[in-house]
Amino acid sequence: MTSHAHIGRSTPSKEAPRHAAGRGTFVDDLVRPRMLHACILRSLYAHARITTVDAKAATELRGVSGVVTPEDVKRLTRPFKPGRYAAGLRVPIPEYGCAVDKVRYVGEPVAIVAANTRARAEDALELIAVDYEALLAVASTKAAAAASAPLIYEELGSNVGWQGHVAFGDVDGAFQRADRIVRENLQIHRYSSTPLEPFACLVEHTPERLTIWCNSQSPDVIYDAITEALGVQNVRVIVPDVGGGFGQKIHLIRKYAVLVALMAMQTGRPVKWIEDRSEHMMAGGHACEQEFDVEAAVASDGEVLGMKILDTDDVGGAISTLTIHFTNKLNNLFNTYKVQHLRLEGRSVITNKCPVVPNRGIGKPGMCFVWERMMDRIAQELALDPIEVRRRNLIGADEFPYTTPNGNIHGSGDYQMLLNKALVNVDYDEVRRRQAAERENGSGAEKMLGIGVVIGVEPGGRNAARDMAIFPESKRMPGAGGVEGAKVKLEKNGSVVFTLGSPSCGQSHETIASQIIADALGMRPERIAMSGTFDSALSPWGVSSSNSGNNFHLYDVGAVHGAAHRLRNRICTLAAHVLGAELQSLRIEDGVVYAGGASAADAAAHDASANTGAAEKDRVTFAELGKIAYSNQAQMPDDFEGGLEATYYHSHPHANPLMLPDMQGRVRAQYTFSSAAHAAVVEVDRETGRVRVLRYVIVSDNGTLMNPAVVDGQIYGSAAHGISVALGEGFVYGDDAQLLTLTLLDYGKSTTLETPRIEIEHYPVPDPFTTLGQKAAGEGAAIPSPAAIASAVEDALSPMGITVRHLPLSPERVWALIQEAQDA
Amino acid sequence: MKKAVSMTVNGELCEGEVEPRTLLVHFLREHLGLTGTHVGCVVGECGACSVLVDGTLVKSCLMLAVQGHERDVTTIEGLAKDGALHPVQEAFVNGFALQCGFCTPGFVMAAHALLARNPDPTEEEIRHDLSSNLCMCTGYVQIVEAVKHAAERLRQ
Repeated sequence: MTSHAHIGRSTPSKEAPRHAAGRGTFVDDLVRPRMLHACILRSLYAHARITTVDAKAATELRGVSGVVTPEDVKRLTRPFKPGRYAAGLRVPIPEYGCAVDKVRYVGEPVAIVAANTRARAEDALELIAVDYEALLAVASTKAAAAASAPLIYEELGSNVGWQGHVAFGDVDGAFQRADRIVRENLQIHRYSSTPLEPFACLVEHTPERLTIWCNSQSPDVIYDAITEALGVQNVRVIVPDVGGGFGQKIHLIRKYAVLVALMAMQTGRPVKWIEDRSEHMMAGGHACEQEFDVEAAVASDGEVLGMKILDTDDVGGAISTLTIHFTNKLNNLFNTYKVQHLRLEGRSVITNKCPVVPNRGIGKPGMCFVWERMMDRIAQELALDPIEVRRRNLIGADEFPYTTPNGNIHGSGDYQMLLNKALVNVDYDEVRRRQAAERENGSGAEKMLGIGVVIGVEPGGRNAARDMAIFPESKRMPGAGGVEGAKVKLEKNGSVVFTLGSPSCGQSHETIASQIIADALGMRPERIAMSGTFDSALSPWGVSSSNSGNNFHLYDVGAVHGAAHRLRNRICTLAAHVLGAELQSLRIEDGVVYAGGASAADAAAHDASANTGAAEKDRVTFAELGKIAYSNQAQMPDDFEGGLEATYYHSHPHANPLMLPDMQGRVRAQYTFSSAAHAAVVEVDRETGRVRVLRYVIVSDNGTLMNPAVVDGQIYGSAAHGISVALGEGFVYGDDAQLLTLTLLDYGKSTTLETPRIEIEHYPVPDPFTTLGQKAAGEGAAIPSPAAIASAVEDALSPMGITVRHLPLSPERVWALIQEAQDA
Repeated sequence: MKKAVSMTVNGELCEGEVEPRTLLVHFLREHLGLTGTHVGCVVGECGACSVLVDGTLVKSCLMLAVQGHERDVTTIEGLAKDGALHPVQEAFVNGFALQCGFCTPGFVMAAHALLARNPDPTEEEIRHDLSSNLCMCTGYVQIVEAVKHAAERLRQ
């Protein structure tokens, strides 16, 4: 019906011109009349009881309009409902916008101040006197799980907040049949994607409604939080431009939304709060520190018969995100492999660190790390080639659609091909030859060359019913499947505006939606514009209206495609009437509807005749149809509803089977599965332990590409983050649970100097179940990249007999590994 | 006690009264409404607030507004001329060298300063210079390419 003139091409970015010119509109750029500026008082203690809070002096400071203390918060707000990530919480524990009785991590919010300037609000913070009764803090899962450990949440009776397991197939049988059991302990550290724009809220409360401008990825979380905590019914959530999300801006931001909203209600004035960098580092949420005790049952030819994994997650002071890093492992539980028997046991251990939150893959980088480290380890123990061990276990290209033992349906893919192409592109054989020569002649003794090749999936399209597979006792069914809307409207002048149900954090929503609409309607993307960013009062939104779970490709693309095609039908219905033509005979080219044999080639003649006022019967422009639809009932068909707009809510038509868990606990954790092979070539400096990435090659299958340049950017960015994580960026706590990395410099974010020039080849295999064959793109390359670097570094260090078990591979850690090996 | 400051910003004389502790970036954003200059860390690590002061690249969170007194400041809003984007801006747009756009004004200013000093930089020189700025979205590949293209355009 439509050709793809725009989908699949790198059509120019709609968003870039305003950002390059400094015309982006972020929350901090907004100003309301009589607006106050808020600051948050945060805990200096990792674990303490709050005895008294005296805010009198702060309240009396000139310029200060309000102070909200823990007592106010307890009195004036209700605790949050546990929310989507709290599955597995044994006892309901009230969680408020700030700490009310105890503080449980450094940086936990304790009070909020509003003043006429930000500087004055900061002055006032220093005048708030908080009496703390310090408690012993626990900074590791081992310390927290000890019988003598101080309880962080007394209600739970233990710091092990949750434990449980999932098992698929006959795990014991697989272990009995095995020729060998390969065991390993693996660890991933705490890190974050540190969006460059920290949290930001601006709230205005009038008797009519409460409006919040907030850089949330999931406006539904903010909407629910304000309604639940403050009892406000008429809430409007507006999300302007968002300076990066990566999962960070989904969950904990709700605390601040409620505190700022409460302040706006108390003072009767608009209140803006902008988090600063150190606040974000200590309290904005971290990706979970994870430890895995793994056992693989293998046959002597490298076939993996089964796997047992004990996953211990350090979830920090979190209760409302207690199990997310466990449950998300269901999304890539078998990675790209056809293994049938697996048991994953989990423990969520509460410590006095920052709560964990979603972050570029949530748990999935850990799961991929387990598989890919184990593939290398199995190869070593069986004296096989690591690539061959992977090949031995990959799902075959002829097996798609492939259902994993836990119910995920991989629609399409060719994992062998991804691996083959990565090997060719990275010149694998040549690297191996060079490595052997350098080892032979001793030239590689100081700069040790290594190569690692791994493979992984990037799941997309969230299904919250997944959690029921782990928590069947859950009384309330979480939103199953997905729903997301879009609205497309033809304006009077023939241009098109549209509204999406979900916010963008830099994924080019406007560009890509315009490409889809342009192809559906037969017009140029230049004449299409997004009507504005997310606004809960105007945007059609549902449970999937969230910039999370890689939702855009599935729900937004489906919704905007559906709405555009609905609008096309209405345009054609009106055009057929106006032209007196058969509906089937109509064609649209460049915003003009032609009947019968007429075509755009005659356009010049049409223009000439239009100038002379001659009547034309074989074509009508969008602008002419727009004028009719909004202002001339006489030219509409009798039963035609005026106006030319269409709204469409998309639900994944192939969400079943397994949208809900079956008796075996099988459920579709996500709906699409992109995949990629990553090859890293590194050089390790023996003297300093510093790792330099010489080449980084990716071959990626993201299904039908909407805009290749956009997908390239997402792959570059997520790979760069995973590489930076592997090489040393991360949060470091002291034994007293004080955070030592409060700035981006201490934290160790890679710059242009450390980040390699990543190389990409696309190998798209369209998904058979999605609207246009598309699969997820966004966070994907952050999933296998830590494993790729680990594999390459281990390979470089292999002549010294070093194995890599723990991330990060900071110069300090690598140097220590080298020293240990030399001493031994 | 407020201090009077006056500076030329994007060719226009701007005056204001500020507390001595006011940072240049806050003066630009809050007093002058030039919100294209962003605050990502406020301690000079991310470069989102980069501007030119007397032609030199400066992180405006590391400078007080009073230190800008009687000086010439160029912000991201001052690069486009007669409604046409500056070649560096154009190269960022055409090269998909941005995603969320929050770091972009800082990167554009840093690239502009680099090319004013070194019209034909190598990739190594570009990466060295731009290490003053952080981007969490792009992995820098398309940014570096955009700077190369801008250099080429500007040399023509």
